[in-house]
Amino acid sequence: MKNRLKVLRAERDWSQAELAGRLDVSRQAVNAIETGKHDPSLPLAFRIARLFEMRIEDIFDDGEQQ
Amino acid sequence: MSKPLGPGEARTRQRQRRQLVYVAIAALLGGGIGFVTGFFDKGDGSLFTGDWEALSLDPAIAVILALALVAGFAVLPLYGFTQIDEMKRENNLIASTGGCIAVITGFPVWAVLYAGGFVPAPHAFGVFAIAFVAMAISYPIARFVR
Repeated sequence: MKNRLKVLRAERDWSQAELAGRLDVSRQAVNAIETGKHDPSLPLAFRIARLFEMRIEDIFDDGEQQ
Repeated sequence: MSKPLGPGEARTRQRQRRQLVYVAIAALLGGGIGFVTGFFDKGDGSLFTGDWEALSLDPAIAVILALALVAGFAVLPLYGFTQIDEMKRENNLIASTGGCIAVITGFPVWAVLYAGGFVPAPHAFGVFAIAFVAMAISYPIARFVR
């Protein structure tokens, strides 16, 4: 699944470790999500959306048209 | 002068420290079990060849080792599961599934090959080793390949 996590993180000048700590996950998990190797669970997707004060669908794109 | 740590980076370092402590405890426990088993073993048997009748330990040492093995193979990993994030938990579950499938497949395959005269008879340590090796192979596949 595509996502804008890397861009959003860069806009805040956060390292992967900084974002990982704020989300309470490992740095490897942040890297895996950014590179599309891991799709976050719904609770983690909500945590990410809350952290960036955005909607989940504004961060993640499953490729399906609405 | 190094950049000050943000709250997230500080928490990440704390997580990494906890992980190191966990690995150190697991290594100490494993090393302790290996040392005690080797030091107090009185028999001529071998786990690797299924020569069970010749294995011998003092009953008290055997009980201590059994408790340490439960701690090492059940309690510590289950505790570890509560400390890792969802991605690592998923990778661990994939590795466990790999071990389970390997045993479910490996034992009957071993049994029929034994019946056909190709290999020695199946034994418990062999089945344990199938699970262990399959998990050890499955984890890096889950972590790095998929």
